[in-house]
Amino acid sequence: MNRLLASIKKEFLILVRDWAGLGLIFLMPMVLVLVMTLIQDASFRKLDETKITLLYLDEDHDTLGIEVKNGLEKAEYFEVITRLADRELDEKAVLGQVAQGNYQIGIVIRKGSTDAIRARGQQMVQQNIFGPDAPAVADTTMKARIIIYYDPAMKNSFRLTVRNALEVFTSKIEAGIMFQALSAELAQYLPDPPAPVSGPGSSISYEEIYATDAFTEIIPNSVQHNVPAWTIFAMFFIIIPLTGNLIKERESGLATRLLVMPGNQFQVLGAKVTVYVMVGLVQFILMLILGKMLLPLFDLPSLVLGPEKLALFLMALATTLAATGYSVLVGTVARTHDQAAVFGMVSVIILAAIGGIWVPVFMMPNLMQATSIISPLNWSLDGFYQILLRGGGIREIVSNLAALFVFYIITLTAAIWVSSRRVRM
Amino acid sequence: MPHYPAIEVLDLIKTYKGADEPALNGVSLIVPEGEIFGLLGPNGAGKTTTINILCGILKATAGSVKVSGWESRQNGEEIKHIIGVVPQDIALYPSLTAHENLHFIGSMYGLKGKQLKERVNQCMSMFGLEKYGNRLIRTYSGGMKRRINLIAGILHQPRILFLDEPTVGIDVQSRTVIIDYLKQLNSEGTTIIYSSHYMEEAELLCSSIAIIDQGKIITQGRPLEMIGSQPGYTNLESIFLIITGRKLRDH
Repeated sequence: MNRLLASIKKEFLILVRDWAGLGLIFLMPMVLVLVMTLIQDASFRKLDETKITLLYLDEDHDTLGIEVKNGLEKAEYFEVITRLADRELDEKAVLGQVAQGNYQIGIVIRKGSTDAIRARGQQMVQQNIFGPDAPAVADTTMKARIIIYYDPAMKNSFRLTVRNALEVFTSKIEAGIMFQALSAELAQYLPDPPAPVSGPGSSISYEEIYATDAFTEIIPNSVQHNVPAWTIFAMFFIIIPLTGNLIKERESGLATRLLVMPGNQFQVLGAKVTVYVMVGLVQFILMLILGKMLLPLFDLPSLVLGPEKLALFLMALATTLAATGYSVLVGTVARTHDQAAVFGMVSVIILAAIGGIWVPVFMMPNLMQATSIISPLNWSLDGFYQILLRGGGIREIVSNLAALFVFYIITLTAAIWVSSRRVRM
Repeated sequence: MPHYPAIEVLDLIKTYKGADEPALNGVSLIVPEGEIFGLLGPNGAGKTTTINILCGILKATAGSVKVSGWESRQNGEEIKHIIGVVPQDIALYPSLTAHENLHFIGSMYGLKGKQLKERVNQCMSMFGLEKYGNRLIRTYSGGMKRRINLIAGILHQPRILFLDEPTVGIDVQSRTVIIDYLKQLNSEGTTIIYSSHYMEEAELLCSSIAIIDQGKIITQGRPLEMIGSQPGYTNLESIFLIITGRKLRDH
């Protein structure tokens, strides 16, 4: 016990005197969480919190053209530009401005679009009263045409979001125009026609509820997603200082000195594991403080921990154990500092990518979704999401804890085996 | 209580993985207790391999090693308590002070509390380092590091001390302090197993020597008896050159 305590004290002193290592362990992850949360915050917020400036050319000058413009202006997420500073808009100007990237979207409502919708409405009434062979009362070959120009640099997902939003309220306007056309047409055949109405209101209402049967205070947002995700990433980044520590010990002959002293590899590595597990837990606590107190200063939501604090602690402990075990194994197997640093860093980045730290697993292709289960970062992330997003407790994360703990045991055992074989071969 | 030799080595063979030739090819030697035994040889002769096997750092391919009567394969942990090792590298933590390094090493040997503190202070003043105990090792000069490296090997007062090139790269003053201390330590009963390239130093220090080359012991005996025993054997260096030749060894 005295040997283990002496080794822990030694590891602790080495750690606290390594300022660059401390910065890497504590400061860099905090900056990482802050930056990534700020960057990704926009994609978690509602669309109406970000403004998109678009060029709008109304060649229709009728109901569709006017109502689409009103609709776009009412929706708070569009800023509608109908003329440039020095001249009126025309389609060539719209195309040119969007192509140059000055605007991301240009919308042109073609002339006669409202008439085309009305004509269809009139024709429907005729066909309902006189049958399919009813004489044509309007030119139904015409179609309402809306041209949307996109900046080629625009992300596809963003383009689809804009397109969907536009389709939703143009279909409402279309329904309104057709309804008015139907009313007007029917009025000709009724002895006592009712006063014209503007159109049908929606009879469907939507309620959006995050499905959880537990803690209801939690609202999924960028903070709830990003703080655990990047904390896990940071915890696994102890691979850099820890492998460095192991390789320095080997290259300087200290590992040989340790080998000729009483004690065993378990004590030597056990001290490192103890200190770096404590580092991981301190990292985690710092991240929670960051999420609760610092992020709100940047106009981000405050991290909600929920009532399952013990589950959170166990998840953090299991994660840091897995990270430490993996780091010890890489530090033992690698022969040089460069090997360990490059392999360690790249492997953690790959495991993070596979594990859903960068892009959620559900958005990945099927093959990558299936692959994600090999990443310990995924087991950890899933566990944290159970607690921080779904309001789960210890029962819900038992399998995640077990997987991480088994991973720790396997990696540490392998490291001890490799280490004892290497020095005595 | 039976008296065992400090070291008994019989037909020691060591072949490294992937090597064509064995690094040690049937080395046998006996070092009685209380000797200062010099293991001398050109580069790549097998000195460090032999010492590493004796200390338990390496496993022998074949042969037997006994340290103070303990069979090395079965009694590794017992042997660790009675030996001290001073490696050629400065095996100290550069970001720890001398006191912190020595307290850690002492604790690993089971020393603690007042006993440990007193032993550290005693060793530090023995080597003229008492004023520098709280300085980080990385701020030490080469000679000071060598002296702390030696203290780390003798802190627990081992019965057998292994030294691999303990005076390499240091000034005459530091070397003299180390050599004088080793003589004193030996006079108190510690067996010293020492490897070096410095023949003059070995001649001055060792009570017996073995010259090893190409994994085999070529000759062994007492330096004073060997010098002058044959024509050209004027000192240890001349004996060494006659036995091992003048050809450069690149390994």
